[in-house]
Amino acid sequence: MDTKKEELYFVHNTPVPETPAPGQKPEPWQQTQMVGQRRARVDGYERVSGTAAYPSDVILPKMLYAAILRCPHPHATVKKVDTSAAVKMPGVHAVISGMTPATNPVWNYRTWEGHLKKSKLFDPHCRFEGDTVAAVAAETPYQAQDALRNIDVTYDVLPYVSDYRKALDTGTPNIHAEGNQVGQPQTQERGDVAQGFAEADVVLEETYYTACEIHTPLELHGCLANWDGDRLTVWESTQGVYAVQATIAEVLELPLSKVRVIGHYMGGGFGSKGDTSKYSIIAALLAQKTGRPVKLFLTREETYLATGNRPSSHMTLKAGVKKDGRLTAMEFTAIGASGAYPAGGTSLLDWLIKDLYTCPNVRTHTTDVYINAGPARPFRAPGHPQCAWALEQMMDALAEAIAMDPIKLRLQNIPDFSQARPGNPPYTTTGYKQCLEEGATQFGWQQLRKKYAANKKDGNWLRGVGVAGSSWFLGNGFGPATIILKLYADGSVNLNMGASDIGTGTKTIMAMVVAEELGIKPEAIQIEHADTGTTQFASVSGGSKTVPTEAPAVRDAAITVKRRLLEMAAEDLKSKPTDLSLKNGKVFIKNNPSKAMPITAVAKLKQHHVIVGVGNRGPRPTDKTVIPFAAQFCEVAVNAHTGEVQILRFLGAHDSGRVMNRLTYDNQVFGGITMGIGLATTEKRVLDHNHTGKMVNRSWHEYKLPTSMDVPADMQSVPIEIPDDVANTTGAKGLGEPVTIPTAAVVANAIYNATGIRVTETPVNAVQLSQLLAQHRKEG
Amino acid sequence: MLPNFAYTRPDTLKEAVKQLGSEEARLHAGGTDLLGCLRDGVFSAQKVVSISKLDALRGITKTSKGGLEIGTLTTITAVAEHPLIQSDFTALANAAGEVASPQLRNQGTLGGNICQKPRCWYYRGEFDCLRKGGDTCYAAEGENQYHCLFGSDDTCFIVHPSDTAPALTVLDAQVRIAGRWRKKTVPIDSFFVLPADDVQKETILGADDIVTEIVLPPPPAGIKSSYCKVRARRSWDFALAGIALALAFNDAKVAHARVVLSGAAPIPWRSMAAEEAIMGQELTPDIISKAATAAVKDAEPLAQNGYKVPLFKGLVEQELAKMKV
Repeated sequence: MDTKKEELYFVHNTPVPETPAPGQKPEPWQQTQMVGQRRARVDGYERVSGTAAYPSDVILPKMLYAAILRCPHPHATVKKVDTSAAVKMPGVHAVISGMTPATNPVWNYRTWEGHLKKSKLFDPHCRFEGDTVAAVAAETPYQAQDALRNIDVTYDVLPYVSDYRKALDTGTPNIHAEGNQVGQPQTQERGDVAQGFAEADVVLEETYYTACEIHTPLELHGCLANWDGDRLTVWESTQGVYAVQATIAEVLELPLSKVRVIGHYMGGGFGSKGDTSKYSIIAALLAQKTGRPVKLFLTREETYLATGNRPSSHMTLKAGVKKDGRLTAMEFTAIGASGAYPAGGTSLLDWLIKDLYTCPNVRTHTTDVYINAGPARPFRAPGHPQCAWALEQMMDALAEAIAMDPIKLRLQNIPDFSQARPGNPPYTTTGYKQCLEEGATQFGWQQLRKKYAANKKDGNWLRGVGVAGSSWFLGNGFGPATIILKLYADGSVNLNMGASDIGTGTKTIMAMVVAEELGIKPEAIQIEHADTGTTQFASVSGGSKTVPTEAPAVRDAAITVKRRLLEMAAEDLKSKPTDLSLKNGKVFIKNNPSKAMPITAVAKLKQHHVIVGVGNRGPRPTDKTVIPFAAQFCEVAVNAHTGEVQILRFLGAHDSGRVMNRLTYDNQVFGGITMGIGLATTEKRVLDHNHTGKMVNRSWHEYKLPTSMDVPADMQSVPIEIPDDVANTTGAKGLGEPVTIPTAAVVANAIYNATGIRVTETPVNAVQLSQLLAQHRKEG
Repeated sequence: MLPNFAYTRPDTLKEAVKQLGSEEARLHAGGTDLLGCLRDGVFSAQKVVSISKLDALRGITKTSKGGLEIGTLTTITAVAEHPLIQSDFTALANAAGEVASPQLRNQGTLGGNICQKPRCWYYRGEFDCLRKGGDTCYAAEGENQYHCLFGSDDTCFIVHPSDTAPALTVLDAQVRIAGRWRKKTVPIDSFFVLPADDVQKETILGADDIVTEIVLPPPPAGIKSSYCKVRARRSWDFALAGIALALAFNDAKVAHARVVLSGAAPIPWRSMAAEEAIMGQELTPDIISKAATAAVKDAEPLAQNGYKVPLFKGLVEQELAKMKV
């Protein structure tokens, strides 16, 4: 082998795990060489330098730009769309609307719980502000916008309902024929709740609200569509190219084989790009109609209205506890808003109530309603941050009521099996206890609690600390995973994977898994991914599934390649494959390491030019469930005069199994906390309830994301690393969502500790706190 | 997306004034507010007149008497970082440092900051409101958590968005204006327009008027000034409540007082009641408390902005206490 190449591709003097014999399961990794390190992203340079071509960067010859005319009213019927002026405008190539039946296919709104509502691409009954009315393709984006302004739409404006708490009131306008309730309210019950409350020493009840949040990923939603004969190619900023492929094929009645969706890079989604949107269909139809590539990226304002949200939640929680800290009963009643179509307005909203703490008597009752506003979409840990806002504040209040440390109360009630799942399966691993204990130690919990119990005042500021914990519904991913790994004759490697890297570092982690098994440098691995034309099926990158789903399949593919390589080398070395091992890009005989050959010298590899290894996700445990756990801590200061909140420190202790890459792991923790600070302190969709039902803060200035000034510089990630070898062959559990679940509740609990004020409604900043502090002073 | 408009960049102030006199012409200084308004369709423009070539309107000069002349094109960053402004006109340096975000402060100008359009989300959004020539104020009974406590005259409930304007007001600044027929200098407290006087205007500027300089008189001996701003997030946000103070003391007693609130009214809101409460007094906790109560005595809260009453009270208390000698 060329020594230079050896240095180029292989990590020097690094042992790789022994290769299991065919049919034998790989051993869990012991001491890893690559996995778990702090490694910069394999595509970091491309992303930072701007050479990475995101879908919004792609330009094709003769490309047209499309734009969508959206209903300005939250509820209206389209009577007439007059496009006669628009079609004559300079640069305009096509205008489509509900008046052009050939370009108005059926569009289904559906949820994973099974709700389905048939609509049209351009439904004349517009049920939310931002619903699609018409679309234009023109030579330039400006011409497209000018054309939109010249489409004359006659609307019959209808009464609307924008407040989800009033959606079911009598006299409220119906959004769908059957009314404003999405399916039936869900009731779940175990034990005897009344009996549980009777047994309690303390029973507390509180109502909590969380405001509707918008996803606001940095890269806008959109795509570029191009036809080549009857074959459609779509470049889309998406979390799942196969999901987009399936929807386009269904709506346009095309075979899957004729629809190619590419999404190599994408600039964030947080769940809003897990669903397929109407714009993909509109771009495809306009491209078909004009015979030109059509690019359709939404404006920021459109994304506020039409590409999903975390629905607002209204939750009442009653909970009983014994003086010794045992929970006796919980009763949870909640309303959430899907928006104008079924969209999971209460998805998983009661999950933590049912599953996080040991409690024999639990009843939950959730009602999902329609309102005239954009349909929700999964938003980083659907339902969970809202539920944690209620449950984890309640735990804090219960602890105080029985004079127990809030961490101790949580520790008293940690189950080792899932109470909410049929059959009560045990958890494969549970690090919740360690998250709380190790997090508390590293944070300095006991000392700070004592300190602030004695004196909270720091000039004009009141200081306090808070804690909250959580689990996440899903730790072991879902969906099939098929990986193709190619080892080329020169020793370099190509990794082929269907999954999208939504900014979490998926590509880097998968490269590290290959590197771990083959001893190759991660940066020497070429990655093909997120392309339905060249990769194998992968489900959407969402649900914290990508690492636990794809990494074991990548490991499997790498082992398959290794096995094949050793088989080939065995012929050259006149040995048995099981007697061979791999190191430094060389195959050698285990009990005679002097007998070695570079892999590039393996005769069959030279002859075939490539070894192709196919990897699959192995079986999941059927009798156990895989769940990530979290505890977070923060310290706040609240200005006693003005109610301003400063978050001074944050610490996240997370059990997500094995740490695959410490750098991207910490990035996730810090990013999740940052997002949770947004829920806690700044973010809120504001609808003009009284006059128009329209959203009034649909800009990046008025819809307030936290800035770097609102997020503490002092953030600490404390991994509770318990490799979960039962879950999968890499020992990793999901991380991307757990990191944002407890955050808002942590902030609320810290504010309570500082001020004695229980803030039940998000967002919490000087707007709320100035008034609450004044009331608090009045009440003494 | 920006609408179509003609763009001109005159070499002289005279030419700029002339160009501004044409149909639907808009002045472009830093552009941080203008471009947003055009993009959002708050108003239209047939012509955008850039004054960026007028270098004479940029920079900070000390006057012979110890005051300052600040050219209208001086960036907010330059104002915030100027040593003399920091030492002698502290309220203005504080206020400039609190504007928006670093990027916007680097681009935005002092003239533009006092001439900016209100941030009321109805005014900025797709609502045909009174200030845009419509017949309804949507804020009066709508989403009004960021709206005013004073000075609405039950007409329009915007708050003036500028941070620098209240600071300039406590410093008794004057505004120089060049127009087609006139050049004039006005005290800054007569520069702003209340809704009762003209609901579609925020300043006295005519269509072809340009603010050319802001003039700060020499500071009275021993004056201390400050500006403090409370907002929902700590950068890139307008004031929920702000307060500019300029006080001078005779022994421990207040001998000169200016108290101007931001985020309170459609114009920078001078609180004569708070000034009266402290004039001639030592800033004891009792006097401070009286001044804070006086500052909000005539507040007329709306359905959702009631928090501003305790917020202003708390803010007045906090800031007066800091001034105590």
